[in-house]
Amino acid sequence: MNIASLINALPGAAAQGLIWGIMAIGVYITFRVLDIADLTVDGSLCTGGAVCIMMMQAGYNVWIAMLVATLAGMLTGLATGLFHTFMGIPAILSGILTQLGLYSINLKIMGKSNQAINVDKYDLLVSLRYIKGVAFYKNTILIVAVIIVILIAILYWFFGTELGCSLRATGCNGHMARAQGINTSFNRVLGLMISNGLVALSGALRGQDPGFADINMGRGAIVIGLAAVIIGEAIFGKIFHNFALTLLSVAFGSIIYYLVLQVVIWLGIDTDLLKLLSALVVAVFLAIPYWQGKYFSKPVKKGGSH
Amino acid sequence: MLELKNISKTFNPGTVNEKLALNNVSLTIEDGDFVTVIGGNGAGKSTMLNAIAGVWPVDEGQILIDGQDVTKLPEYKRASYLGRVFQDPMNGTAAAMNIEENLALALRRGQKRTLRQGIKASEREAYRELLSGLGLGLEDRMTSKVGLLSGGQRQALTLLMATLRKPKLLLLDEHTAALDPKTAAKVLETTETIVNRDHLTTLMITHNMRDAIAHGNRLIMMMEGEIILDIRGEEKMGLSVQDLLSRFEQVSGKEFANDKAILG
Amino acid sequence: MTFDEQNAQGDSNTCSTIINSFVSADVDLILANATAALQAAQAGTDTIPVLGTSITDYATALELDSFDGTVGGNISGTSDLAPLAEQAAMLAELFPDAETVGLLYCSAEANSQYQVDNVQAELESLGYTCTQYSFSDSNDIAAVAQSAADASDVIYVPTDNTAAANTEIIDNICRPAGVPVIAGEEGICEGCGVATLSISYYDIGYISGEMAAQILTGEADISTMPIEYAPNVTKEYNAEICEDLGITVPDDYVAIATEE
Repeated sequence: MNIASLINALPGAAAQGLIWGIMAIGVYITFRVLDIADLTVDGSLCTGGAVCIMMMQAGYNVWIAMLVATLAGMLTGLATGLFHTFMGIPAILSGILTQLGLYSINLKIMGKSNQAINVDKYDLLVSLRYIKGVAFYKNTILIVAVIIVILIAILYWFFGTELGCSLRATGCNGHMARAQGINTSFNRVLGLMISNGLVALSGALRGQDPGFADINMGRGAIVIGLAAVIIGEAIFGKIFHNFALTLLSVAFGSIIYYLVLQVVIWLGIDTDLLKLLSALVVAVFLAIPYWQGKYFSKPVKKGGSH
Repeated sequence: MLELKNISKTFNPGTVNEKLALNNVSLTIEDGDFVTVIGGNGAGKSTMLNAIAGVWPVDEGQILIDGQDVTKLPEYKRASYLGRVFQDPMNGTAAAMNIEENLALALRRGQKRTLRQGIKASEREAYRELLSGLGLGLEDRMTSKVGLLSGGQRQALTLLMATLRKPKLLLLDEHTAALDPKTAAKVLETTETIVNRDHLTTLMITHNMRDAIAHGNRLIMMMEGEIILDIRGEEKMGLSVQDLLSRFEQVSGKEFANDKAILG
Repeated sequence: MTFDEQNAQGDSNTCSTIINSFVSADVDLILANATAALQAAQAGTDTIPVLGTSITDYATALELDSFDGTVGGNISGTSDLAPLAEQAAMLAELFPDAETVGLLYCSAEANSQYQVDNVQAELESLGYTCTQYSFSDSNDIAAVAQSAADASDVIYVPTDNTAAANTEIIDNICRPAGVPVIAGEEGICEGCGVATLSISYYDIGYISGEMAAQILTGEADISTMPIEYAPNVTKEYNAEICEDLGITVPDDYVAIATEE
């Protein structure tokens, strides 16, 4: 074990974390803003990667490929949203149904389970290879960081609009939202579409990065997303209150997750156990606020005029 | 203003928990009426309010607000006619959003939510003025999260939100029941002030007979999903708790069994 | 020499993280086992030599426009491509009277489609009618295998991990139906096949090792090294299933040693 090699590996890990950070922001929108645990993510991530790579293989520009991938992701969110609102299926189950269906759809998009995109042949936006020794404006870390900043700016603006505020109210208190004339069903669908659009965009970058899309690339994505959200909240929650900064902390959470993962691999821990480790970390972090409320809370005065 | 025609609602039909919550209820409320609703637990008071608000569809009957048939309209569309305050202070506001954001959401009730800015700078001044009218000091905490407010503060804010855009009908569902007596009195006083100021048609459920008598120009009592008493005008003005109890025993043939309603 | 062995446990995402750590540790050579690992390695470096192994078709895996047996650049390796033409010939040798062949495979595996397409071309040139039966994951195997068994005289299963993990199911459907299975590799044949023409993974692993040694000692330049294939193939048969189905194989077939 060589500490220098670990340090060398960190920029690459940070790049991975940033790419997943976009997905984590999508997960934040459903999980925290809409209060829905949306399992569509495991499927829509792959949809994004698959669409992007097939479009690029067909000769489309990388930006157009990523745009179409994002739109495809929004359609997956639409499907889950309609299962949930129009067909009255519980949100979790709706996500699972879409995710399962997407397995077939993703196979059909790619025509097989794995499609490669050769970094030497295409003008990729990001790649494992563009971490060191490339012009700074081609550096994957910089490019993804810029994309994230732009996305956060757009989301910050959107959630400050009348529509965006009504979406936040929908997730926060459905009773109140409907009493104020907000169409909560429409807003849930809209939120799921925005979220899965971001997830698919992340998938599009995820496909370019290692040069292939794979039918299994979304497996466990929701757990990584949740891990990023809760790590970000746990570390930066006390400092960052502004909505834009909260989104930024989610992206940081994702980077931290990947840095920790890199250290775990460097330590030589059996990689078979990685998924178990992730699941346990997420479970514990999710439990902390519950335990705090249950065992360490100060009695709260109910009612009262002040 | 409001017309209920033969409204019926059964919960959990076909199960052991089947309950006829509203039994062929008809009610007409005139413009400017302030109606108080009283009755024991499970009498159908809240069910009636929820039927008007469209929380779920009714099984039978017709609901008209201001001459418009709203029976088939979903809850969020009916909201353009209604202002609502709930029993649970948690229900009326969005806890994770701040005071001015909550008010801005309420100001846009019944309007299309667009991509315009959620709060215009010009609104803030109006909100500050309205909040200072509550006398709770909320005008200085406009960017505080509503989750940090006390139950009484939240109910007062909800009341403000329900009436920020003048509703055709204000629905108050035991909105002081979860508050301590002093706060409850204050919220009720605010309610009276706003209703009088804006001449709002109001339907207020209460557990408290004294409040039901002291407020409004008409009182209805419900039991087992039906309206069993309807007292208005002169008669309502001279009513005492004792009168009400004896009238209740007359029509129902039972003693009024709800201590809280008498003592409260 | 030090070895750093990392297993992405079938997770294509972990591949990226592992390749990142290899590249940043500036290892002298990356041995990438299976398609996703090779793809990530190719994306990760164009300088460190990368040897693939257990790759069926390099042209598909690396999305090469033209492939003449040598990948070039910093990549070479060994292929586990089964001798598909010979497997088709074997099927014809054992079942000359059969008319329809069902090709049963998992559509979610990168290499299976490639094998099945090639075998189908070979079989059709030998006069068989072929139908592809694909399942997208292990939950669907039983239903798909049943319809394949109903409509086919013989079934062919390529080298396919999902099939390999579920030979029991295939056997329980095909043997009672009296439909023999020709397998792409020994493991599947042992579970549900009557015969196979098998390569040895030991052999290709050994060859990969030799190639690595030549690269590391500087004896050979990876950019000119062609992809190596398994040197020997063995005709094998599953004695128990053959007996059940009343099939007699020629003398040059070797019985698979079953673990009892």
